[in-house]
Amino acid sequence: MCGTCGCADPANEVSMTNPETGAKVILNGAHDHSHDHEHHHPGDDEPHTHGAGGEIIPLEIAVLSKNDKFAAQNRGWFEGRGVTALNLVSSPGSGKTTLLEATIKRMADKIKITVIEGDQMTANDAERIKNAGAKAIQINTGAGCHLEADMVAQAAKSLDPERGSLMIIENVGNLVCPAMFDLGEKMKIAVISTTEGEDKPIKYPHMFRAVELVVINKMDLAPYVDFNEELCRKNIAEVNPNAEVLCLSAKTNEGLDAWCEKLIDIMKASAES
Amino acid sequence: MHELGLARNIAAIVGEHTKGRALKEVRVAIGPLACIEKQALEFCWGIVTEKTAIEGVGIGFIDAEGDTFVVRELEFMEEA
Repeated sequence: MCGTCGCADPANEVSMTNPETGAKVILNGAHDHSHDHEHHHPGDDEPHTHGAGGEIIPLEIAVLSKNDKFAAQNRGWFEGRGVTALNLVSSPGSGKTTLLEATIKRMADKIKITVIEGDQMTANDAERIKNAGAKAIQINTGAGCHLEADMVAQAAKSLDPERGSLMIIENVGNLVCPAMFDLGEKMKIAVISTTEGEDKPIKYPHMFRAVELVVINKMDLAPYVDFNEELCRKNIAEVNPNAEVLCLSAKTNEGLDAWCEKLIDIMKASAES
Repeated sequence: MHELGLARNIAAIVGEHTKGRALKEVRVAIGPLACIEKQALEFCWGIVTEKTAIEGVGIGFIDAEGDTFVVRELEFMEEA
Protein backbone atom coordinates (compact mmCIF):
# COMPACT_ATOMS: atom_id res chain seq x y z
CA MET A 1 0.00 0.00 0.00
CA CYS A 2 1.20 3.49 -0.77
CA GLY A 3 2.20 5.02 2.56
CA THR A 4 1.30 8.56 1.53
CA CYS A 5 -2.15 8.39 0.03
CA GLY A 6 -3.22 4.89 1.07
CA CYS A 7 -3.99 3.73 -2.45
CA ALA A 8 -3.28 0.23 -3.67
CA ASP A 9 0.06 -1.45 -4.11
CA PRO A 10 1.67 -0.64 -7.48
CA ALA A 11 2.16 -4.38 -7.97
CA ASN A 12 -1.59 -4.73 -8.42
CA GLU A 13 -1.73 -2.66 -11.56
CA VAL A 14 -3.30 -4.53 -14.42
CA SER A 15 -1.02 -4.97 -17.36
CA MET A 16 -1.24 -6.91 -20.60
CA THR A 17 1.77 -8.46 -22.26
CA ASN A 18 2.06 -9.61 -25.83
CA PRO A 19 4.08 -12.81 -25.62
CA GLU A 20 5.22 -12.40 -29.23
CA THR A 21 6.76 -8.97 -28.87
CA GLY A 22 7.10 -8.74 -25.11
CA ALA A 23 5.33 -5.36 -25.23
CA LYS A 24 3.60 -4.51 -21.98
CA VAL A 25 0.63 -2.20 -21.63
CA ILE A 26 -0.72 -0.96 -18.32
CA LEU A 27 -4.49 -1.19 -18.64
CA ASN A 28 -5.77 0.48 -15.52
CA GLY A 29 -2.92 1.07 -13.13
CA ALA A 30 -3.79 1.40 -9.49
CA HIS A 31 -2.05 4.79 -9.53
CA ASP A 32 -4.22 6.61 -12.04
CA HIS A 33 -3.70 9.86 -10.16
CA SER A 34 -0.28 11.43 -10.21
CA HIS A 35 2.00 11.16 -7.24
CA ASP A 36 4.15 14.19 -6.81
CA HIS A 37 6.25 12.41 -4.20
CA GLU A 38 7.61 9.81 -6.54
CA HIS A 39 10.23 11.78 -8.33
CA HIS A 40 11.83 14.22 -5.97
CA HIS A 41 15.34 15.29 -6.66
CA PRO A 42 17.59 17.06 -4.24
CA GLY A 43 17.97 20.71 -5.08
CA ASP A 44 14.81 20.93 -7.19
CA ASP A 45 12.24 23.51 -6.20
CA GLU A 46 10.45 20.86 -4.14
CA PRO A 47 9.29 21.78 -0.67
CA HIS A 48 12.00 20.87 1.76
CA THR A 49 12.76 21.57 5.37
CA HIS A 50 15.96 22.21 7.23
CA GLY A 51 16.57 20.01 10.25
CA ALA A 52 19.28 20.49 12.80
CA GLY A 53 21.79 18.87 10.45
CA GLY A 54 20.82 20.16 7.05
CA GLU A 55 18.30 19.82 4.28
CA ILE A 56 15.73 17.03 4.48
CA ILE A 57 14.13 15.80 1.31
CA PRO A 58 11.06 13.57 1.21
CA LEU A 59 11.37 10.43 -0.92
CA GLU A 60 8.54 8.01 -0.11
CA ILE A 61 9.89 5.17 -2.25
CA ALA A 62 8.79 1.65 -1.37
CA VAL A 63 11.82 -0.41 -0.38
CA LEU A 64 10.44 -3.35 -2.33
CA SER A 65 9.49 -1.25 -5.36
CA LYS A 66 12.02 -3.04 -7.56
CA ASN A 67 10.62 -6.46 -6.71
CA ASP A 68 7.05 -5.17 -7.03
CA LYS A 69 7.85 -3.88 -10.50
CA PHE A 70 9.14 -7.27 -11.62
CA ALA A 71 6.14 -8.96 -10.00
CA ALA A 72 3.77 -6.71 -11.94
CA GLN A 73 5.63 -7.62 -15.12
CA ASN A 74 5.34 -11.32 -14.31
CA ARG A 75 1.64 -10.93 -13.66
CA GLY A 76 1.22 -9.31 -17.06
CA TRP A 77 3.32 -12.01 -18.67
CA PHE A 78 1.24 -14.80 -17.11
CA GLU A 79 -2.00 -13.09 -18.06
CA GLY A 80 -0.84 -12.48 -21.62
CA ARG A 81 -0.08 -16.19 -21.95
CA GLY A 82 -3.20 -17.38 -20.13
CA VAL A 83 -1.07 -19.13 -17.54
CA THR A 84 -2.26 -19.45 -13.94
CA ALA A 85 0.66 -19.08 -11.55
CA LEU A 86 0.46 -20.21 -7.93
CA ASN A 87 3.02 -19.50 -5.22
CA LEU A 88 3.29 -22.47 -2.86
CA VAL A 89 4.76 -21.58 0.54
CA SER A 90 5.48 -23.70 3.60
CA SER A 91 8.12 -24.69 6.09
CA PRO A 92 10.73 -27.21 4.88
CA GLY A 93 9.46 -30.79 4.91
CA SER A 94 5.73 -30.12 4.86
CA GLY A 95 5.42 -32.16 1.66
CA LYS A 96 5.12 -29.52 -1.05
CA THR A 97 7.12 -31.53 -3.57
CA THR A 98 5.33 -34.79 -2.73
CA LEU A 99 1.99 -33.00 -3.15
CA LEU A 100 3.13 -31.70 -6.53
CA GLU A 101 4.27 -35.15 -7.66
CA ALA A 102 0.89 -36.63 -6.73
CA THR A 103 -0.94 -33.70 -8.38
CA ILE A 104 1.01 -33.99 -11.63
CA LYS A 105 0.32 -37.72 -11.91
CA ARG A 106 -3.36 -37.27 -11.11
CA MET A 107 -3.88 -34.38 -13.53
CA ALA A 108 -1.69 -35.75 -16.32
CA ASP A 109 -4.53 -36.10 -18.83
CA LYS A 110 -6.42 -32.97 -17.69
CA ILE A 111 -4.02 -30.03 -17.51
CA LYS A 112 -0.43 -29.17 -18.31
CA ILE A 113 1.62 -28.26 -15.25
CA THR A 114 5.03 -26.61 -15.12
CA VAL A 115 6.96 -26.09 -11.89
CA ILE A 116 9.54 -23.58 -10.69
CA GLU A 117 11.43 -25.08 -7.78
CA GLY A 118 13.09 -22.79 -5.24
CA ASP A 119 15.69 -24.14 -2.83
CA GLN A 120 18.94 -22.84 -1.42
CA MET A 121 20.92 -25.74 -2.89
CA THR A 122 20.54 -28.89 -5.05
CA ALA A 123 18.34 -29.65 -8.03
CA ASN A 124 16.75 -32.66 -6.27
CA ASP A 125 13.22 -31.28 -6.33
CA ALA A 126 13.28 -30.32 -10.01
CA GLU A 127 14.52 -33.83 -10.73
CA ARG A 128 11.60 -35.31 -8.76
CA ILE A 129 9.09 -33.14 -10.63
CA LYS A 130 10.65 -34.12 -13.96
CA ASN A 131 10.37 -37.79 -13.04
CA ALA A 132 6.71 -37.25 -12.10
CA GLY A 133 6.14 -36.12 -15.67
CA ALA A 134 6.15 -32.31 -15.68
CA LYS A 135 8.52 -29.68 -17.03
CA ALA A 136 10.44 -28.10 -14.17
CA ILE A 137 13.22 -25.63 -13.56
CA GLN A 138 15.21 -25.22 -10.40
CA ILE A 139 16.24 -21.93 -8.88
CA ASN A 140 18.92 -22.11 -6.24
CA THR A 141 18.95 -19.03 -4.07
CA GLY A 142 22.31 -19.77 -2.45
CA ALA A 143 22.24 -17.80 0.79
CA GLY A 144 18.84 -16.33 -0.02
CA CYS A 145 15.81 -17.34 2.00
CA HIS A 146 13.07 -16.67 -0.57
CA LEU A 147 12.37 -16.34 -4.29
CA GLU A 148 12.17 -12.88 -5.81
CA ALA A 149 10.14 -11.75 -8.79
CA ASP A 150 13.08 -11.28 -11.17
CA MET A 151 14.21 -14.89 -10.58
CA VAL A 152 10.71 -16.10 -11.41
CA ALA A 153 10.65 -13.96 -14.56
CA GLN A 154 13.74 -15.67 -15.92
CA ALA A 155 12.63 -19.15 -14.87
CA ALA A 156 9.19 -18.66 -16.41
CA LYS A 157 10.69 -17.54 -19.72
CA SER A 158 12.89 -20.59 -19.95
CA LEU A 159 10.02 -22.92 -19.02
CA ASP A 160 7.92 -21.36 -21.79
CA PRO A 161 4.57 -22.64 -20.44
CA GLU A 162 1.81 -23.21 -22.96
CA ARG A 163 -1.49 -21.30 -23.02
CA GLY A 164 -4.05 -22.46 -20.49
CA SER A 165 -1.49 -24.27 -18.35
CA LEU A 166 -0.83 -24.13 -14.64
CA MET A 167 2.52 -22.92 -13.30
CA ILE A 168 3.31 -23.76 -9.71
CA ILE A 169 6.11 -21.88 -8.01
CA GLU A 170 7.41 -23.90 -5.09
CA ASN A 171 8.99 -21.29 -2.87
CA VAL A 172 11.95 -21.87 -0.56
CA GLY A 173 10.77 -23.72 2.55
CA ASN A 174 10.42 -20.82 4.97
CA LEU A 175 7.38 -19.38 6.73
CA VAL A 176 8.84 -15.90 7.20
CA CYS A 177 10.39 -14.07 4.25
CA PRO A 178 8.44 -15.38 1.24
CA ALA A 179 5.34 -13.61 2.63
CA MET A 180 6.87 -10.24 1.73
CA PHE A 181 7.83 -10.92 -1.84
CA ASP A 182 5.19 -10.76 -4.53
CA LEU A 183 6.21 -12.98 -7.45
CA GLY A 184 3.36 -12.05 -9.73
CA GLU A 185 1.35 -15.14 -8.82
CA LYS A 186 -2.42 -15.42 -8.95
CA MET A 187 -2.57 -16.76 -5.42
CA LYS A 188 -0.36 -17.80 -2.52
CA ILE A 189 -1.14 -21.21 -1.06
CA ALA A 190 0.31 -22.42 2.24
CA VAL A 191 1.03 -26.08 2.93
CA ILE A 192 1.33 -27.25 6.52
CA SER A 193 1.54 -30.80 7.77
CA THR A 194 0.04 -32.56 10.73
CA THR A 195 3.51 -33.29 12.14
CA GLU A 196 4.24 -29.58 12.53
CA GLY A 197 1.56 -29.04 15.15
CA GLU A 198 -1.61 -26.97 15.10
CA ASP A 199 -0.09 -23.66 16.08
CA LYS A 200 2.00 -22.86 12.97
CA PRO A 201 -0.62 -20.34 11.75
CA ILE A 202 -0.50 -18.29 14.94
CA LYS A 203 3.30 -18.59 15.20
CA TYR A 204 3.80 -17.28 11.66
CA PRO A 205 0.74 -15.06 11.17
CA HIS A 206 2.21 -12.90 8.38
CA MET A 207 2.51 -15.86 6.07
CA PHE A 208 -0.95 -17.19 6.79
CA ARG A 209 -2.42 -13.73 6.32
CA ALA A 210 -0.89 -13.56 2.84
CA VAL A 211 -2.47 -16.78 1.54
CA GLU A 212 -5.94 -17.57 0.22
CA LEU A 213 -5.81 -21.32 0.68
CA VAL A 214 -4.22 -23.53 3.34
CA VAL A 215 -3.52 -27.20 2.62
CA ILE A 216 -3.08 -29.46 5.64
CA ASN A 217 -0.93 -32.35 4.44
CA LYS A 218 0.01 -35.73 5.97
CA MET A 219 -3.52 -36.36 7.29
CA ASP A 220 -2.65 -40.08 7.28
CA LEU A 221 -0.30 -39.36 10.21
CA ALA A 222 -2.82 -37.29 12.18
CA PRO A 223 -3.82 -40.07 14.62
CA TYR A 224 -0.17 -40.90 15.43
CA VAL A 225 0.91 -37.35 16.21
CA ASP A 226 -2.27 -36.34 18.08
CA PHE A 227 -3.11 -33.72 15.48
CA ASN A 228 -6.19 -31.70 16.36
CA GLU A 229 -7.74 -30.62 13.07
CA GLU A 230 -10.43 -28.53 14.76
CA LEU A 231 -7.82 -26.50 16.64
CA CYS A 232 -5.68 -26.05 13.53
CA ARG A 233 -8.66 -24.73 11.56
CA LYS A 234 -9.47 -22.38 14.45
CA ASN A 235 -5.90 -21.06 14.47
CA ILE A 236 -5.98 -20.47 10.72
CA ALA A 237 -9.29 -18.62 11.01
CA GLU A 238 -7.89 -16.51 13.82
CA VAL A 239 -5.17 -14.99 11.61
CA ASN A 240 -7.01 -15.23 8.29
CA PRO A 241 -10.80 -15.66 8.45
CA ASN A 242 -11.03 -15.70 4.64
CA ALA A 243 -8.61 -18.55 4.02
CA GLU A 244 -10.02 -21.79 2.66
CA VAL A 245 -8.72 -25.01 4.24
CA LEU A 246 -8.21 -28.40 2.56
CA CYS A 247 -7.09 -31.52 4.42
CA LEU A 248 -5.29 -34.23 2.46
CA SER A 249 -2.53 -36.76 2.34
CA ALA A 250 -0.22 -36.58 -0.67
CA LYS A 251 1.02 -40.07 0.24
CA THR A 252 -2.27 -41.97 0.47
CA ASN A 253 -4.11 -39.68 -2.00
CA GLU A 254 -6.83 -38.99 0.59
CA GLY A 255 -8.45 -35.63 -0.21
CA LEU A 256 -6.53 -35.22 -3.48
CA ASP A 257 -9.66 -35.07 -5.60
CA ALA A 258 -10.92 -31.99 -3.77
CA TRP A 259 -7.49 -30.38 -4.16
CA CYS A 260 -7.39 -31.08 -7.90
CA GLU A 261 -10.92 -29.71 -8.31
CA LYS A 262 -9.87 -26.60 -6.42
CA LEU A 263 -6.91 -26.12 -8.77
CA ILE A 264 -9.22 -26.34 -11.77
CA ASP A 265 -11.61 -23.82 -10.16
CA ILE A 266 -8.69 -21.42 -9.59
CA MET A 267 -7.62 -21.80 -13.22
CA LYS A 268 -11.16 -21.14 -14.45
CA ALA A 269 -11.47 -18.03 -12.26
CA SER A 270 -8.09 -16.87 -13.51
CA ALA A 271 -9.09 -17.29 -17.15
CA GLU A 272 -12.31 -15.33 -16.61
CA SER A 273 -10.74 -12.43 -14.73
CA MET B 1 18.51 -12.91 6.33
CA HIS B 2 15.96 -11.01 4.34
CA GLU B 3 16.87 -7.79 6.17
CA LEU B 4 20.21 -7.95 4.35
CA GLY B 5 18.47 -7.87 0.98
CA LEU B 6 16.21 -5.07 2.19
CA ALA B 7 19.21 -3.05 3.39
CA ARG B 8 20.71 -3.47 -0.10
CA ASN B 9 17.50 -2.15 -1.66
CA ILE B 10 17.53 0.86 0.66
CA ALA B 11 21.20 1.55 -0.15
CA ALA B 12 20.39 1.41 -3.88
CA ILE B 13 17.48 3.86 -3.49
CA VAL B 14 19.66 6.19 -1.39
CA GLY B 15 22.49 5.98 -3.94
CA GLU B 16 20.14 7.05 -6.71
CA HIS B 17 19.04 10.16 -4.85
CA THR B 18 22.07 11.59 -3.06
CA LYS B 19 23.89 12.66 -6.23
CA GLY B 20 27.19 12.94 -4.44
CA ARG B 21 25.95 15.17 -1.63
CA ALA B 22 26.99 14.30 1.91
CA LEU B 23 24.16 12.48 3.63
CA LYS B 24 23.56 12.37 7.35
CA GLU B 25 20.70 9.96 7.73
CA VAL B 26 18.11 8.00 5.79
CA ARG B 27 14.73 7.57 7.47
CA VAL B 28 12.60 4.56 6.75
CA ALA B 29 8.91 4.32 7.65
CA ILE B 30 7.88 0.86 8.86
CA GLY B 31 4.41 -0.41 9.74
CA PRO B 32 3.72 -3.16 12.29
CA LEU B 33 2.59 -5.59 9.57
CA ALA B 34 5.65 -5.10 7.36
CA CYS B 35 7.56 -8.01 8.99
CA ILE B 36 10.66 -5.88 9.48
CA GLU B 37 12.95 -6.40 12.43
CA LYS B 38 14.42 -2.93 13.00
CA GLN B 39 17.47 -4.14 14.91
CA ALA B 40 18.35 -6.64 12.20
CA LEU B 41 17.86 -4.01 9.50
CA GLU B 42 20.10 -1.55 11.35
CA PHE B 43 22.77 -4.22 11.72
CA CYS B 44 22.59 -5.08 8.02
CA TRP B 45 22.62 -1.41 7.03
CA GLY B 46 26.06 -1.05 8.67
CA ILE B 47 27.38 -4.05 6.76
CA VAL B 48 25.91 -3.07 3.40
CA THR B 49 27.17 0.52 3.51
CA GLU B 50 30.65 -0.35 4.76
CA LYS B 51 33.38 0.89 2.41
CA THR B 52 30.85 2.56 0.11
CA ALA B 53 30.16 6.23 -0.63
CA ILE B 54 27.45 6.21 2.03
CA GLU B 55 29.52 4.60 4.80
CA GLY B 56 28.62 6.13 8.16
CA VAL B 57 25.20 7.36 7.07
CA GLY B 58 22.71 6.63 9.83
CA ILE B 59 19.43 4.80 9.46
CA GLY B 60 16.42 6.10 11.37
CA PHE B 61 12.97 4.58 11.76
CA ILE B 62 9.57 6.23 11.68
CA ASP B 63 6.56 4.28 12.92
CA ALA B 64 3.91 3.99 10.25
CA GLU B 65 0.64 2.17 9.67
CA GLY B 66 -0.19 -1.25 8.27
CA ASP B 67 2.41 -2.87 6.06
CA THR B 68 4.10 0.40 5.09
CA PHE B 69 7.75 -0.03 4.21
CA VAL B 70 9.13 3.01 2.43
CA VAL B 71 12.23 5.16 2.34
CA ARG B 72 10.54 8.28 3.68
CA GLU B 73 13.23 10.96 3.68
CA LEU B 74 16.91 11.77 3.41
CA GLU B 75 18.65 14.22 5.70
CA PHE B 76 21.76 15.80 4.26
CA MET B 77 24.74 17.28 6.08
CA GLU B 78 24.65 21.03 6.58
CA GLU B 79 26.49 22.60 3.67
CA ALA B 80 29.59 24.49 4.61
